[in-house]
Amino acid sequence: VTFLAPWALAIGGLAAAGAVLLHLVARQRPAAYLFPTTRFIPDRRTLVSRVATRPRDLLLLALRVLLLLSAAAAFARPVLAPAHDARARVILLDRSRAVASPAQAIAQARSLLADGVPTRLIAFDSAAGVALDARAALDSLAADSSRASAAIGSISGALVAARRAAPRFASAADSVELVLLSPVSAEELDAATDTLRARWPGRIDLVRVPGRVDSAQAWSLDRALDVDDPLTPALRRARVAATPTAVRVRRTAPSRADSAFARAGGTLVLWDTVGMVPRPAALAMGDDVLVAAMGRGAAPGGRTLARWSDGAPAASEQPLGAGCVRHVAVGVPLAGDLPLRPTFQRIARGLVAPCGQEGSLAPADTAALARLAGVGAQATGRSLAADQRSPSPLVPWLLGLALACAIVELLVRARMAPERA
Amino acid sequence: MTAGPYGSLLDAVRGVRWPAARRVGGATLGAHPSRLRGNSSEFSEFRPYRQGDDPRRVDWRLLARSDRAYVRLTTDRATLRTAVIVDASASMAFPLHDLAKWVRAKEIAVALAAVAHAEADPVGLTIAADAAVTLTPRARRSVIVEMIRALDATAPAGAPALAPHLSAARAPRVVVVTDLLGDVDELMAAAKLRIAAGGEVIVVHLVATEELDPPPDALLAVDPETAGMRRTLDGAARDEYRRAFSAWMEATAAAFRSARVRYFRAETSEPAAHVVRRVAGEVGARGR
Repeated sequence: VTFLAPWALAIGGLAAAGAVLLHLVARQRPAAYLFPTTRFIPDRRTLVSRVATRPRDLLLLALRVLLLLSAAAAFARPVLAPAHDARARVILLDRSRAVASPAQAIAQARSLLADGVPTRLIAFDSAAGVALDARAALDSLAADSSRASAAIGSISGALVAARRAAPRFASAADSVELVLLSPVSAEELDAATDTLRARWPGRIDLVRVPGRVDSAQAWSLDRALDVDDPLTPALRRARVAATPTAVRVRRTAPSRADSAFARAGGTLVLWDTVGMVPRPAALAMGDDVLVAAMGRGAAPGGRTLARWSDGAPAASEQPLGAGCVRHVAVGVPLAGDLPLRPTFQRIARGLVAPCGQEGSLAPADTAALARLAGVGAQATGRSLAADQRSPSPLVPWLLGLALACAIVELLVRARMAPERA
Repeated sequence: MTAGPYGSLLDAVRGVRWPAARRVGGATLGAHPSRLRGNSSEFSEFRPYRQGDDPRRVDWRLLARSDRAYVRLTTDRATLRTAVIVDASASMAFPLHDLAKWVRAKEIAVALAAVAHAEADPVGLTIAADAAVTLTPRARRSVIVEMIRALDATAPAGAPALAPHLSAARAPRVVVVTDLLGDVDELMAAAKLRIAAGGEVIVVHLVATEELDPPPDALLAVDPETAGMRRTLDGAARDEYRRAFSAWMEATAAAFRSARVRYFRAETSEPAAHVVRRVAGEVGARGR
């Protein structure tokens, strides 16, 4: 049994000691005596109390001490502590499309189980699920690993699941280790990630697994951009390969060949911004918001990928044959640092991604990774269990005992009253 | 029903006479000198005949011898109704371990009633309790047993007043057995009225030995009749208590006596028979 408010025990102990002391002091107090001629006794307050070596009224004293101690124990909020382990572990296993090799991630998770630390597994993509038996869950996931997930991962969701599950097992461990097995791509982070991360009271061990963007580029440009094209800095890492599934960026009006390219499964990005005058504007795509002097145009109907601050579409995608045509109405000025901004580069990479993959599979930036990992020690079990507000089952019994003692003490005192008062 | 534990007491007071303090009224033949003179056989004296005397009371033989008319006077005797009022307030239940004051009060009441009853006087009883019990004065044989039964069925409690019972008593001779810790002033006033009306009031003031000499240990005295009165009785206060209590007893006795109330103080250590003899003997001596 442990106590969440041990100071209440100290106060109760002091009160009980005070009760014993009072019984000792009252030892020599004159006994009450029914005396018909009391009126002839001078009315003076005479104190004849002295400290005695043995307390009087032992039954009353025992009841009072028991009352005080049981009430103090109840207010001290006792909890029955389960069997304790030094460590516990929570593994957040990324199952989203950002993971290049789910089997490899599962193997890495399985290796973490080798040390025998009690482990909970939370597999997540856009949703998170908690598995109490990590080995069985990994076996199940391994059997299903051949099917690639198309869902975008949400590390925020995984953190929420971990925080919710933590109190259930955190009280049984001194420290809780949170391991994130993920490539941690930019699309898996959102605006709530930092806030949710702060709710985990310890550091997070990041185990980076290979991401799809890290392996050989999942997509390539079918031809290189001009050197002076402002999109060049953003797409400098893209490979150039004239494959039917590559991405073609057209800075001018499309040709018939471009349409055939799209029908064959390619991604045709029409980013024609000729004549656009740069003006201050705000562009939002996913979690990225860019405020800069840009040329503003209107994208035609279709699936909207990016919007201006007033909600008008800035980029849209229309399917065409086996591929798609993507219209981008964002004018990039030839002068200025806009192409060099990381936000613009993330947006640009998203806009030239293959069809249906406007999210950025690029790894999160270093600062985001540092914020996600955090510093310091592992989370302690107590800090995770502190949010548990469920009352201890002992409390009502202790309060009931205190109440019973009070009633019995009252009855005993009333029974003693005729001879004492 | 028999007298039970009172048997030895009744034996001890058998033969004790309790004459009236003065000639009594009433025509019922009894043991006390009556204010009436006339028809009995107990000759008293001759008195010259006066106009209006009953001619049948003229002593004709003396008239023949002396040629003067004399009336033959005789002494009549009558009964005296007696009521005993017993204080059954909480202060009479003292000490707690043996209730000596209440036991002695019951014994004195029964013994006095038995003495009066032995002289053919009607005796009655009033138990001044929260639920008062009153037995009207009667001369029948069972009256003493009824009194014993009523007293034994009573437990002293509360703080009942005595004065109303004294005023309401239907007997010329009233005995009040009490510790005088209740309505003593009202009792005194009622006694004065009764004496002024020609009645006789006897107060037996019962005092417990423990009240005269409290236990030596320091104690917290609690008044059983006055709620909240608690005082510490220790060595220093004990002397003051004794002085105050003695002064009160003396002042009370003087006040009753000055009101022509026959006052007797009795301690619980004094046998009831002795108290009864004192009451009957003193009254008898004065009556003669």
